[in-house]
Amino acid sequence: MNDYNYIGKEIPRVDGPAKATGQAVYTVDVKLPEMLYGKILRSPHPHARLLKVDTSAAEQLPGVEAVITGEDLQEVRYAFVDTPRYPADEQPLATEKVRYIGDEVAAVAAESEAIAEKALSLIKVEYEILPAVFDPEKAMQEGAPVIHGEQSASTSFWEDWGVAQQKKTVQEDPSINNLSGHTFVSFGDVEQAFQEADYSREDRFELKPTAHCQMEPHAAVASYNPLEDKLHVWLSTQGIFLKRLFLSKTLGLPASKIRVHHSFVGGAFGGKIDLFPYEFCAAYLSIKTRRPVKIELDREEVFMTTRQRHPIIVKIKTGVKKDGTILAQDIRVIADNGGYRGSGPVVIFLCHGFSFPVYNVPNYRYEGFSIYTNNGIRGPQRGHGAPQIRFAIDSHLDLIARDLDLDLLTIMHKNVRQEGDVLPNGDRLDSCGLTECLMGAAGAIDWQKKREQSHLQANGNRYRRGVGISLCSMFSGAMYYPFASAAVVKMHDDGSATLFTGAQDIGQGSYTTMSQVLAEELGIGIEDICVVAGDTELCPIDLGSFLSCTALVTGNAVKKAAADAKRQMLESAADLLGLADPAGLKTQNKMIYLEDDPQKSVSFAQAIQASVLKRDGNPIIGRGSFKGYPRTERYPSLAKAKGLFTGAYGFAAQAAEVEVDTLTGLVRLVKAVTFHDCGFPLNKTVVEGQIHGCVSMGAGQALSEEVHLEKGQLFNPSFLHYQLPIALDTPESAEGLVATIEPSGPFGAKEVGEGCVAGILGAIANAVHDAIGVRIYSLPITPEKVLRALKKI
Amino acid sequence: MEKTIRLTVNGEEKTLKIGVQQTLLEVLREDLGLTGTKKGCNQGECGACTVLLDGKPVSSCLLLAVKADGKTVLTIEGLAQAGELHPMQQAFNEKGAIQCGFCSPGMILVAKSLLERNPNPSTQEIKEAIAGNICRCTGYLQIIEAIRSFVS
Repeated sequence: MNDYNYIGKEIPRVDGPAKATGQAVYTVDVKLPEMLYGKILRSPHPHARLLKVDTSAAEQLPGVEAVITGEDLQEVRYAFVDTPRYPADEQPLATEKVRYIGDEVAAVAAESEAIAEKALSLIKVEYEILPAVFDPEKAMQEGAPVIHGEQSASTSFWEDWGVAQQKKTVQEDPSINNLSGHTFVSFGDVEQAFQEADYSREDRFELKPTAHCQMEPHAAVASYNPLEDKLHVWLSTQGIFLKRLFLSKTLGLPASKIRVHHSFVGGAFGGKIDLFPYEFCAAYLSIKTRRPVKIELDREEVFMTTRQRHPIIVKIKTGVKKDGTILAQDIRVIADNGGYRGSGPVVIFLCHGFSFPVYNVPNYRYEGFSIYTNNGIRGPQRGHGAPQIRFAIDSHLDLIARDLDLDLLTIMHKNVRQEGDVLPNGDRLDSCGLTECLMGAAGAIDWQKKREQSHLQANGNRYRRGVGISLCSMFSGAMYYPFASAAVVKMHDDGSATLFTGAQDIGQGSYTTMSQVLAEELGIGIEDICVVAGDTELCPIDLGSFLSCTALVTGNAVKKAAADAKRQMLESAADLLGLADPAGLKTQNKMIYLEDDPQKSVSFAQAIQASVLKRDGNPIIGRGSFKGYPRTERYPSLAKAKGLFTGAYGFAAQAAEVEVDTLTGLVRLVKAVTFHDCGFPLNKTVVEGQIHGCVSMGAGQALSEEVHLEKGQLFNPSFLHYQLPIALDTPESAEGLVATIEPSGPFGAKEVGEGCVAGILGAIANAVHDAIGVRIYSLPITPEKVLRALKKI
Repeated sequence: MEKTIRLTVNGEEKTLKIGVQQTLLEVLREDLGLTGTKKGCNQGECGACTVLLDGKPVSSCLLLAVKADGKTVLTIEGLAQAGELHPMQQAFNEKGAIQCGFCSPGMILVAKSLLERNPNPSTQEIKEAIAGNICRCTGYLQIIEAIRSFVS
């Protein structure tokens, strides 16, 4: 594996110079001639009936080109989850009701942002305020205000593809108020196993909503061209083909009449994959006015009205043998998805999906509920369920270890899954470095010594230290629209190549790692590759940069496209060299040579020219594709968690050392350790960058980050008050890459960008307990919670 | 109300007629088309809009453009010379300090200004210098590493 020329090398980002010089164009930088500026009027009420929207004064304001309301868009429905069980429940602009503070009511396009803003103030809206509910457990009770009662006949966007389970009837969900999604899965005999357990305990954990904080605010530019009946859009997104599908269905335009153009994305972290009303409205207003329209959200709108991570309540009971072997686990999850379903049914499914790949639990029951409340909408965020469930499970195991006077490491080692394991749903762990990750992380944090030291600390010390550890796992792609990624490699006369990929570089470095895959497979230099990406017109389909699928799924597509181009070049070279067949030919540095006789060689350029002249004009274009999960044609059932989930799981062990100031309650992360099994790392600098970013985000969410909501009103919609990590919060850091080889991955690679946001939460929570001897059951671990736990306030 | 100001932007002297309410960020992005300077929050909290005003980092979203009258502005577009990346841009790229790139222009300019003031900063001084520039992608480690690579 070490004789690679490009794979595994610390190659600088190919988009680095454009980004370092300010040349990289992001959606917020796009400015078109005659462009109008759009603004959105939002509900100030968490729950209200919409009685009347009077736009007449706004329409008469000079400079206003169009005003639209829900009345213009009665039939338009869409949602991140849109299945027969869960029909789409969102509308671009409200028609009958508003369901959270920030819900969209009207949109304006005007000659300037200032005029658009002024126009919003002239729109008169009459509301009938309705009782609202903000606590999911209260929302579930009988008699709670009903947030959605409407019937929707919408069918799934994906039904055309025939990939859904074809069922005559949809099984009913339990009759619970404001239920938006339900997942139930069980295996083994849970009751019996609890009876056989030597010890069991039950705990309740809670996590608050958090924000993505992408540095580039959400924005869209739309330009409809009536001559070609075509809509051109620039979107700050992580999935251009999914966005095109959403826009096609909601606007009623064929997909081929919508072109998503490339623009750089200033961070996504899961928060730029849903369709948003501002995107639809920019497109609709452009079609209406026949002029380009730009809508850019301000930072407060991004915090309030895009997406947040689900606040989740986890109740968990585990039965173990005396030696720490897990016999049974019963998990109940309640996720608050806010005023609309968002990704509620997905996150409760994924809390199971990221629970069961880590420990072998023979008797297991999991039930998840996603619930409507009148809070802001929740959607995917880096890890999507993994942080919540991993924090709960590993905090809970640490408590069990303490009760039984066992070392947490012992319990973890005894129960972690191993390479070759088959999960209850049929997913195979063809690579799994959990044990090595655990050993590596424990060693790097100096586990035994630090744990002994924390026991010996004098009670009177103001500053107390502790260490903790936690494990996590993440998918590497899944079956989700458009269900596959493809790539095209176009060879040029001079032997260089252009890679066409629908994958979007959202900062994770995919243009660089995909270039490395291409360079290695084809035998050319990185400098000989041009990447054309993120454009629905130019590029073949791609799953998008979410579900951690780029390295494995897009990577395989690129590798296959490169291999296809190479095969064609070798055939042409064999002709030129007078060989019967291309076997024995190798490529390197844009040269093709006979392995046994390297003097016999031709350049790529010669082979390509010969192919054009002698092989039916073939200029050599390679193509490759790879399914989201080759072993299945279906996406898994969210409700029953049946079906195959993912082709490969990434794993990590994360450890933390904290220092708690028992006078102020402030927790400082002293050291963070991550040992990650990402298969074979395609680019060490890129992989470490992903780990650092995950750790920083996870540490922020463990210690300070929280979207503060009071009766649905957001109290801290700014970076200053949201308190995400700044440079001064950066801990000492150690990473280890446990290089397993994932057989289904390109050059053995799999996931790295999401999983390890999750383990650091439990690691920090366990470290805080280790330091002060008291458990804090909810995140973030704020000074106030620490002081309360210490009974100092 | 409009006012005419004189600004030296990336070495070029400009006379601009601007609205008195316009921020320096708006003038750079909208009037001069220098979109390398980013608007992350428009309230002085993220540092993405940082430019060097007479050599010192400022949040251009908080500065009225009229206040910059007669001064010298360096934006990220003015850093690379003759098609060659500035050494700080080079270091950021080599050390993995750039991911999504949205904070990079501001971060690079702050780093350049730090080293001009203090050629041998400690790690703590580096962290303090970039404390006003938020990066959500990197966890800051590779950024700190890039700046440290200039420290002897």
